[in-house]
Amino acid sequence: MSIFIDKLFANTTRFIAFGILLLVAWIFSVLFEHSLESIKAFGFLFITEDKWAPNLEKFGALPAIYGSVISTFLAMILAVPLAIGIAIFLSEIAHAKLKGPIGVSIELLAAIPSVVYGMWGLFYFVPIIRDIFGGVGISMLSAGIVLSVMILPFMAAITRDAMNTTPDILKESAYALGGTKWDVVKDIIIPYAKAGIIGSFILALGRAIGETMAVTFVMGNVHKISTDLTQPATSIPVTLANEFAEADSALYYSSLFELSLLLLVVSFTIISVAKFYFLRRKRVI
Amino acid sequence: MATIIEINKEKALEVKNFEFTYAGVDTPSVKKLSMPVAKHNITALIGPSGCGKTTLLRSFNRMHDLYPNNKYNGEIIFKDRNILTSKEDLIKLRIQIGMIFQKPTAFPMSIFDNVAYGLKLQGIKNRTELSGRVEKALKDAAIWNEVKDRLKHDANGLSGGQQQRLCIARAVAVEPEVLLFDEPTSALDPISTAGIEELIVELRERVSIIIVTHNMQQAARVSDYTGFMYLGELIELGKTEDMFVTPKERLTEEYITGKFG
Repeated sequence: MSIFIDKLFANTTRFIAFGILLLVAWIFSVLFEHSLESIKAFGFLFITEDKWAPNLEKFGALPAIYGSVISTFLAMILAVPLAIGIAIFLSEIAHAKLKGPIGVSIELLAAIPSVVYGMWGLFYFVPIIRDIFGGVGISMLSAGIVLSVMILPFMAAITRDAMNTTPDILKESAYALGGTKWDVVKDIIIPYAKAGIIGSFILALGRAIGETMAVTFVMGNVHKISTDLTQPATSIPVTLANEFAEADSALYYSSLFELSLLLLVVSFTIISVAKFYFLRRKRVI
Repeated sequence: MATIIEINKEKALEVKNFEFTYAGVDTPSVKKLSMPVAKHNITALIGPSGCGKTTLLRSFNRMHDLYPNNKYNGEIIFKDRNILTSKEDLIKLRIQIGMIFQKPTAFPMSIFDNVAYGLKLQGIKNRTELSGRVEKALKDAAIWNEVKDRLKHDANGLSGGQQQRLCIARAVAVEPEVLLFDEPTSALDPISTAGIEELIVELRERVSIIIVTHNMQQAARVSDYTGFMYLGELIELGKTEDMFVTPKERLTEEYITGKFG
């Protein structure tokens, strides 16, 4: 009897686990199937063409790709140094009494739903950007900043955890040679935790590139490539969120599916890189 | 009452009425301890786990200061000054009093950079000076022949015994006056242990050494003086050859004959 239960349990869990694989393949195939029309119509031009004109049945994804890349890049540039600073403070500098409360509030910040960041960005942040940098406020720059605020707590928390894995005895060895706190952080902790830190950046990058709600509010959904960051722009998820409801032709509909397929492939690639190259911890002391 | 031998030689360190209390604890872990440490000799500290020997060792380079609210009392005299005062420059102190840990602690960098690390911290940048001193340190630590062809390789690729000798090279590279060994062979196999012990004896020519060990045979093999600690107190300090043959204190005798441990 107990052998039967064991087998039943093993097979149920096996079924569920394989179900996940099936689900991924299924999502992928559905996206692909719906994209076919657009793929046939445009081929590679879909990613290189910068005109997105639904009324003319012309769909080029370049402005959305450009917007995704630039807003994510901006967010990373702003968030990476801050996240490293916060993590160093929390793991090495802060007094034990401070570490707890600050650490927990950072984790709470990471739990705020992205739509809240979007609303906060639109009503509070966009006017500030407009006053400082000009333009209408709803812009690539606002999107980058709101995104950076959104990924910052997540990055800081994981970076801190990675830094905390540095064995005390290793840090003590560097102090015992006459190292200062800064020497130990820069020469021992950061190199030791490097893989975990880069892994956290890549995970954050994955989140930022696929983020929809936080940027939909503040980006503007304008399909135009502009080097002026104070101009409205769009990204792949922003286009999807704004336009699905109004896709009135089969080709329009299919083009949106192809956009989401692109996003899926990019996100998969980023997460895979993070998983296989950086989040594999090997060193044990 | 403790039996502590007079040492008429030059002293590297002198501990006077020293007490140490960990943060959040009421009773001191090291109590009213006084002892001399002879220059260019090896002093071993033995005693059962929790007797305070490592706590005492980590006070000599103020390692306890890395964690908040630990408390020192009394004096440790080094070069005519009490190193327990708040105005002591800990960076300089730790350059003069080096430390080797229980486990090999190779830094995540190349073999060369590991040994050069302490020198670079002192601002030495000249490549020829650096490589000269790294080579000398590696030779002093009897590991030069094994690593000279792979100085640029990751130090974590070395075996445990090699890594520990690398750590010793790293410590002697900055030319300290005192070296503290905290159970340096507890993570090593017997052959590596023998190598490290041999090395410690050779190093006596240049530095004064204090070694904490849970292994009485090791203390007997390498040291000139042995101190036996029990429950935070120094019970007896004497010449090693006398301590293991004719201990003066009953507790010492019981410990070295294995009646408790």
